[in-house]
Amino acid sequence: MFTHLNVASAYSGHYGVTRPEFLVAAAAAQNQTALAITDRDGLYGAVKHIGACLKAGLDPIVGVNLAVTGLGRATVIAKGNDGGIGWAALCRTVSKAAKGGKPIELTREELATHTVRDGTALCTVLIGNDTDFGRAVIARDRLAAAKALTEWRRLFSVNGSLAIELVSHLTEPDTAYSTSVAARMLALGDSMGVPSVLTNAVRYLSPDDAITADVLDAARFLEPLGNFAPQPNAQAWLKPPRAMAELALEITDDAARAHKLLKTTEKLADHCRLNPEKDCGWGKPKTPEKATLGIDGNPFEVLWQRCYASIETRYPHAKESELGEVRNRLGKELITINKLGFATYFLTVADVAQMIRDMKIRIAARGSGAGSLVNYLLGISGVDPIEHDLLFERFLSTERSSLPDIDIDVESARRHDIYRAIFKRYGSNRVTLLSMQSTYRGRGAMRDSGLALGLDDEQIDEIAQNMWRFSARSFRSAIAEKPELAMVAEALERDRKMNLLVDITERLDRLPRHISMHPCGVILGDATLLDLTPVETSGIGLPMSQFDKDDMDPMGMLKLDVLGVRMQSAMAYAVSEIERGGKKPFDLDAIPKDDPATFEAIRTTNTLGIFQIESPGQRELTGKHQPTEFNDLTIQISLFRPGPMKGNMIAPYLDGRHGFAKPRYPHPDLEPILRETFGVVIFHEHVLRIFDKMTGCGLAKADEFRRSLEDPRVSASVEAFFRQQATSRNYPQSVINEVWEILKGFSSFGFCKAHGAAFALPTYQSAWLKTHYPTEFLAGLFTHDPGMYPRRLLLAEARRLGVKILPVDVNVSTAEFRVENGAVRMALADVKGMSVSEQSRIIENRPYANLADFYLRARPSNKTLERLASVGALDSLVSGTEYGRGHILARVRELASITKRPKLDPNQPMLDLELLERLPQCDAPTREEQIAAELEILKMDVTEHVLEQYRPMLDEMGVTHSSELVGLRNKTEVLVAGVRVATQTPPMRSGNRVVFVTLDDGHGCSDATFFDDAQARCSQVLFNNRLLIIAGKTRRTGVNGVSVMAENAWDIRELWRQWQAKRPELSA
Amino acid sequence: MTLINEPVEVSLDQTGSPVGFRWRGVRYLAKGKPLRWFTRKQWWLESSRVQRGIGASALEVEVWRIVADRDAKSFKLTNDGGVWRLISADE
Repeated sequence: MFTHLNVASAYSGHYGVTRPEFLVAAAAAQNQTALAITDRDGLYGAVKHIGACLKAGLDPIVGVNLAVTGLGRATVIAKGNDGGIGWAALCRTVSKAAKGGKPIELTREELATHTVRDGTALCTVLIGNDTDFGRAVIARDRLAAAKALTEWRRLFSVNGSLAIELVSHLTEPDTAYSTSVAARMLALGDSMGVPSVLTNAVRYLSPDDAITADVLDAARFLEPLGNFAPQPNAQAWLKPPRAMAELALEITDDAARAHKLLKTTEKLADHCRLNPEKDCGWGKPKTPEKATLGIDGNPFEVLWQRCYASIETRYPHAKESELGEVRNRLGKELITINKLGFATYFLTVADVAQMIRDMKIRIAARGSGAGSLVNYLLGISGVDPIEHDLLFERFLSTERSSLPDIDIDVESARRHDIYRAIFKRYGSNRVTLLSMQSTYRGRGAMRDSGLALGLDDEQIDEIAQNMWRFSARSFRSAIAEKPELAMVAEALERDRKMNLLVDITERLDRLPRHISMHPCGVILGDATLLDLTPVETSGIGLPMSQFDKDDMDPMGMLKLDVLGVRMQSAMAYAVSEIERGGKKPFDLDAIPKDDPATFEAIRTTNTLGIFQIESPGQRELTGKHQPTEFNDLTIQISLFRPGPMKGNMIAPYLDGRHGFAKPRYPHPDLEPILRETFGVVIFHEHVLRIFDKMTGCGLAKADEFRRSLEDPRVSASVEAFFRQQATSRNYPQSVINEVWEILKGFSSFGFCKAHGAAFALPTYQSAWLKTHYPTEFLAGLFTHDPGMYPRRLLLAEARRLGVKILPVDVNVSTAEFRVENGAVRMALADVKGMSVSEQSRIIENRPYANLADFYLRARPSNKTLERLASVGALDSLVSGTEYGRGHILARVRELASITKRPKLDPNQPMLDLELLERLPQCDAPTREEQIAAELEILKMDVTEHVLEQYRPMLDEMGVTHSSELVGLRNKTEVLVAGVRVATQTPPMRSGNRVVFVTLDDGHGCSDATFFDDAQARCSQVLFNNRLLIIAGKTRRTGVNGVSVMAENAWDIRELWRQWQAKRPELSA
Repeated sequence: MTLINEPVEVSLDQTGSPVGFRWRGVRYLAKGKPLRWFTRKQWWLESSRVQRGIGASALEVEVWRIVADRDAKSFKLTNDGGVWRLISADE
């Protein structure tokens, strides 16, 4: 037996190669009883390691490899089975080292303070080749080595707090990690009474992985291979006990000493074996203390009272029978929550939700949590689960004991304010942000691989462009199969480096790449939180746990997802603009959810800017579906997912809805369950109810069955249970067969209805705002940019809706898009390159009397000044009609050429402002130039739609406006023109690639579909141009749905040149 | 040190340690235990493939120092995936 005490996993950023689970599996296969993980700089892989050890029956050992200021790197391992003081010391040590940001390090004194307390070693520090001591030994400077060791021993005199780490990577004698150096360390340690242990300073699982380690080194040093000293050889792998025993013998050259060395190593390992429950709080739910939440007494009673108290506010007009249902359901949910002991958890989330509302920030629930009446009553969710027929069991049941996920959406612009408020409210000892590990995927993996090989960026980019759609793991097969990669295949034939590039890219694939702040996770715990997780500083300055979301459940940590949603910001802004305009304050969450005008507007498919249903695919589906009520939105959002699309659920649903086909129910018992979707199983909730109905298993058990459908090992027993129970309930075999097939096929396809309903709420709210307050809503969209399209498309939508957009004006514009006399005034913030300080100077110093005044007091940079002039933001500074934008531009260019700027100084005579005001003559920019400048600077064609320049040609060609398509008969030959605003190549059932292109022509959007033939003809034009004319036939997809089956496509500018050449008189 | 860099025939013992070699028709026997270590190659300059599973030999080379029974010389040999070369000789 040999226990490895120094193992860097793949979670040692750009250093370790192998994921903890594989290391643990290998150690188990070698009959080890324990294994350490000692990642560099943090405990990033620790929870995964512990989990893997528990699964494999090994004792976990956890440590960290840290830089000690000025002295190299040491490995610090937590002692175990000590009630958690070792683990806490390790966490606090790491947090201390990470506190000052990069580089992560701490002084030896700090290390000692954290790891040795009151004569007890809480951790053991290993010092080896990479320390001052090791370096002195390598340099054969015995005196310096002895001195260095003495210094270490001075601070780590307590028994078990320090050991010498011997490693032999069988490198050249007398170099680092050589046997001879290890032997000298051992001799010195023995003579000075410092114990030595043997490790293999593991970086990878097997010798083959050493090449990957080379590439990671290059990524870490940001240098190509060959530019730095690489690892000496491929020996840093997880060697089996026999090989380690041989190394011990080689180092000691003495069987007895070798035996002792191995024994000392095992003894230290034994002290460091962790008891996950007792040392790390594994699996024990942790919530803030009652007092922190302001609760007296039993949390469950408090929860009970709060829920009952809010029935009246949530159901003010309910009849007694309805209230009975509410109380009945509430009782059921509360019993489950109590059984699981989660009352404090719900109160915590409710407390956070209330705090967010008190900050006047919009909040909505997302995910299965919307299926809980408790969440609705506590104000965590805004969706009534009874009205929308959502199931609590999908969210929480006694069948599972893990903490449920409650995710809340808030205004994105206020997200960081909320984080800070949470830290303030609960104290920074109870709160940390969550981190996440990004992993190497195709493009990033290829980039770092290319860097390692010293390929230039252009070369890498060219290949990466072609390859990014494929997972790095399958590059080789993709190259062999995909015709569009023929050029890459050819390059591989002749280029050795290309081959290496593909090989090492495949090696990097899916390895952790770097750690960053999770976009929405906050961990809430009690006062011991920082004893259980190490923290480092996040990008926004707040502390962040080194654990990621998958670590939360095993560690029993309460993670709250507070997700910033731009649409929530856009809607909040729209509401505030409505109120600023003099309308009386209203609650967007309280508007009736059955407004006919809103649904009518949705049905036109002009859904641009509406949450969740603005994509080309959703627009097409809207045309076919024609929603009339809130539940339709829930269904539509749920249908437009990869699962239902692949599962072919959309067509049968639409057929049933429009009466093209009679809904089919496998059995009359299932009709009430599936009536809303015309017999199609779409929702997880459907599956739960079907299981329950046909087997009587109860909804909680049914959700367990649903979850296990995907696992082929368990699904067989689920099937047996289903068949047996359904048979005993006298369902005919044919029905049982049919239903089982549906359930089985459903496993990966369905969607949680509660999630759909939670999403449908902002969908409806945004549609309502767009319908009733288009100007304010557009101002919100412009300001917070929530959508998927370029913002110039919003401008086109504004034009279509008749909402006037006013240009940027330095005397009026603010940081936001403001509603001004029924129009939207563009924001200063949108001018390209405008800095925050420039913007605030402009706002603070106005009004400006003239150009010179602006130039002197707002002090814009030359570039900004010119850009402002180009987009007309300075037009209001010039009076008199004889001057136009051309004059202003010329003047601004003159000002910009002044090398030493005049300063405003009250003691100096004023500059000759008259002179500054004298505008030079200059031609006004052409319309085309003006629009080009607007697109460049504002990303919007403010003056007119960019297509208008080509209008004479388009009219002559007989191009159809997108808004006219809906009136055409099926299969009409048409030409459509516009700016390509979206290109999508979704996965298709058939496996054939289809390209969807959306064009905006200022009248709305037209969607064109390119199948194989058309793609072959047009893909060059299609992907390389933004201004397109597409020829094809209309294809009716629904009442308000028409798309174009494309046959050909051209670049408008190319046609324009040809057209002008033919018509010289028009091109003038 | 004399650079040689020629292929040689090596005889091994049961553990894979060289016990002697034949170079330019002369047989050399190892005196004492030869010293072994591992060094590395610059695969990015030398290899054409480094796919997963290619093995450590793409990166690593075994090196032996043998003190020979004649000429009082010590020799450096490499074993690169079973191919032996005599690299250099020291007086």
